[in-house]
Amino acid sequence: MVSIDLSRLQRRVRRAYELRRLRRGLLGASPIVIVAIAAACAGHRPMSALWFGLAAVTASVLMLWYGRDPQKAVLPGVAAGLIPLTLALCANHVHACGADGCGTFCVPACALGGAIAGLAVAGVGRQRKAGVWFWLSASSLAILTGAMGCSCIGYSGVVGLALGFAAGLVPALLRRALGGKST
Amino acid sequence: MGADPNDIDSLMTRLADGDRTVFTPVFHLLWGPIHRLCVSLLKNEADAADAAQEAMQKILERASDYDGVRPAMPWAMAIAAWECRTIARRRGRRREVLGLNSDPAGEHPEREFVHRDLAIAASTAMGELSIADQETLVATFLDEATSVSGATLRKRRERAVKRLRKAFWRLYGLD
Repeated sequence: MVSIDLSRLQRRVRRAYELRRLRRGLLGASPIVIVAIAAACAGHRPMSALWFGLAAVTASVLMLWYGRDPQKAVLPGVAAGLIPLTLALCANHVHACGADGCGTFCVPACALGGAIAGLAVAGVGRQRKAGVWFWLSASSLAILTGAMGCSCIGYSGVVGLALGFAAGLVPALLRRALGGKST
Repeated sequence: MGADPNDIDSLMTRLADGDRTVFTPVFHLLWGPIHRLCVSLLKNEADAADAAQEAMQKILERASDYDGVRPAMPWAMAIAAWECRTIARRRGRRREVLGLNSDPAGEHPEREFVHRDLAIAASTAMGELSIADQETLVATFLDEATSVSGATLRKRRERAVKRLRKAFWRLYGLD
């Protein structure tokens, strides 16, 4: 009769399961690397874009590895974040010159993009009746992705993005909280 | 302890979703049937233990890829049967190298394993069909006379074979 140490086998199998999930996470987050490189090439502050990109990739890998609600939030979060990112990168190339000098539309574009991204995340969250972790994960990824472009004129762009995002998200969060209390 | 197939399906879906709390129950629900399958296929305790351990590692490693639409137990059994075949092939090769001829599985162990795997897979797929379809296919196989004949019987056979093919595809992803 061959004796098998089941607890040792279980530990070995568990390690294989976690490693496979990590590999899947790395593979799943690879498109964000491309987005970060593109944002660094197209933007005026490549280092900021790369740092925010690194944060977005790390967060995505962790969420995809962990699974459950955070895993489901990766795609909507990144997709929503692409809106302010694209708007900010486009606004970087548009100047408005007046008597006081020239300025870009970076901050308004980030705020507007952030509001649209907030509405998009709220729409998906409401549709899926998602939990708190989905909202938190999708919001953080949307802001990190958007910030790759919104760091165009320093951190004021990122603050504009965050405020816009909150403005888009808060009504849905309030409705969710009030709806939750009434039921 | 017999594993409830519906239970293992939902547990595997949760594990695929990243719910680690079900890892231990899934491990214990799978271990018994997988080990028994390996023992019955390999007829050797040591080889069966090796195959079952390798199979468990592969099954749970791929748990994140598990598609909740398919039943989990036949999916896991298919992986285990494949692992047993690999071990049997290795054993056959080892015997060839050592010049031994006393293989209990016969002159063509690999072919016997393929036949045995197919028989297990086919009977699992048959179990997915209705009683009427099963009777039609068994009668066809045994060349038995049935209450119907001619075009009706032909149609009934065609439908039963089509449903068997669908069940096989659903279970194993193959025709």
